[in-house]
Amino acid sequence: MASASVIEISGLSKTYGSGSKQTAALRNLNLNVQQGEIFGYLGPNGAGKTTTIRMLLDLIRPSSGSASIFGMDIRDHSVEIHRRIGFLPGELSLWEGRTGQQIIHYVASVRGDTKDITKQAEELAQRLQLDTSKRVRDLSSGNKRKLGLVLAMMHSPELLVLDEPTNGLDPLVQQTFHEMMDEYRDKGKTVFLSSHILSEVQAICDRAGILRDGDLKAVESIEKLMNVEFHWVDVQFRDAVPERLARQLELSNDISDLNINGSRVKMRLVGDFDPLLRMLSEGYVKDLRVEEPSLEDIFLAYYSDGREAR
Amino acid sequence: MIGSVFLETYKQTWKQMVYWGVGLAAMALMVVLMVPLFDMQDVKDLLETFPPIILAMVGIGKELEIFATNEGFVAMGFFGKSALIFAVYPVVMGMRITANEEDAGTMDVLLSLPVQRARVIVEKFLAYSVSIVGVVLLIYLGMQLGVSIAGVDLDVARLAEVTFYLIPLMVFIMAVTMLIAVVVRRRSIALGIVTAFVIASYMLQTIGAVAEGTVAEPIGSISFLTYYNAGDILTEGFIWPHIAGFVVVSAVLLLASLYQYERRDIAV
Repeated sequence: MASASVIEISGLSKTYGSGSKQTAALRNLNLNVQQGEIFGYLGPNGAGKTTTIRMLLDLIRPSSGSASIFGMDIRDHSVEIHRRIGFLPGELSLWEGRTGQQIIHYVASVRGDTKDITKQAEELAQRLQLDTSKRVRDLSSGNKRKLGLVLAMMHSPELLVLDEPTNGLDPLVQQTFHEMMDEYRDKGKTVFLSSHILSEVQAICDRAGILRDGDLKAVESIEKLMNVEFHWVDVQFRDAVPERLARQLELSNDISDLNINGSRVKMRLVGDFDPLLRMLSEGYVKDLRVEEPSLEDIFLAYYSDGREAR
Repeated sequence: MIGSVFLETYKQTWKQMVYWGVGLAAMALMVVLMVPLFDMQDVKDLLETFPPIILAMVGIGKELEIFATNEGFVAMGFFGKSALIFAVYPVVMGMRITANEEDAGTMDVLLSLPVQRARVIVEKFLAYSVSIVGVVLLIYLGMQLGVSIAGVDLDVARLAEVTFYLIPLMVFIMAVTMLIAVVVRRRSIALGIVTAFVIASYMLQTIGAVAEGTVAEPIGSISFLTYYNAGDILTEGFIWPHIAGFVVVSAVLLLASLYQYERRDIAV
């Protein structure tokens, strides 16, 4: 049975300014996020990730298009939607003079349930090793981020919207965060997570969308994104690379990023291996390693002009 | 939960309310303590030697008789044009309703919770209005303390009227600040516009007072400060149409803020 869509975005656009100074932050975004999945929203700074998230939260209004969460329009039912979601902003700002506990109590009281939420917040804080008795101004950026995660998750929302969630977190806490995300998925909850950290998306997410200059370039499962038709090939010859072979490699249409260094050759191979193997028989191959492209390679491929990953 | 934003806003503000209240109360106390040091008839005689423009600039009109009384001395020394100082606190509070939170980025966190924008504004507006009442109460207590210490003969009821008249004035200034901040979004620009508004109001009132009896006199009526005149309150008590004016205009400004804030993007 197909999962229900938690987030449905249709033709969403956002432009700032007017006339000749008009700039498009997001163009005609169409996207569905299913219940129970962790969706990675990838893109460099300025790609439109935060703009999308702020529109979903009704903090800014779309120039055109529409979006719904849990089947409800993001503008008409923002209060009902916000009751069921948890949000962590990319640049988290909290009330500097208040302690973590006071802020937790404040947010819980706005949510209308201080007792259960506060208890859950204590457990989360303990798990993330956060001291909530300190004032926000005395917290490190990593600890502020932890407090932000506690605030986003303490009411066990059905949907988590996280903008660059692990920014500033140390590796151990990042690991805890990854475990928490797995638990969220296991409970059938949904996470919409923006990031520019590819390894994070690769480790946590089920699907990812790649955003560039306000345009969504691709939406694929992480598995499929990894399954692009190129590989990194690293060949170690016993002797120096034969000149004839070097010429053949340079002329091949399937090979790029060629790097010949003495007896070693590194290259990016598109397509089948057979033609390359025939060429390599010119010399004595001592070692041959093939690497799957990392998400970073895929990412770069999407971002390189005129060279999209296949 | 209804009232949670109000309560938190008040918790975040009460210390500033006390600091401001105690500071202004100390000023009021000082003015009352000075009453026994002067012969009020001498003060009146001295004032009569000043050109009208100078008197207008310190908030004294033609009603010099009032200033020959102890109450008039306090009104002149504390509630006169130095009343401009009372504009600072509501401007600071008005900026906090939306501009400061947007500037700091905390509004994103607040509005991501199940709460309507209108509720945030109304609850914050009410919380800061309560803090204004607190400041004014402290001023009044400072004045009462001065009366007890100095043992002077003052019509406390009349001074209470002058003091509590500050509440609608300050709430009005806060409402103006809030609307400007909601419209222009940026804190620094909003602050500049509000400052210009208060200074322009002061100048218009002064021009109106100096130009009494001339065609330029109605200019003064444009200024909100014209509707807070300590001398008039001392002679007439609460001027209800003026108070109603402040309340109605503040309510209109609040509604305009709600309308505008509901329609615009939250700044970062």
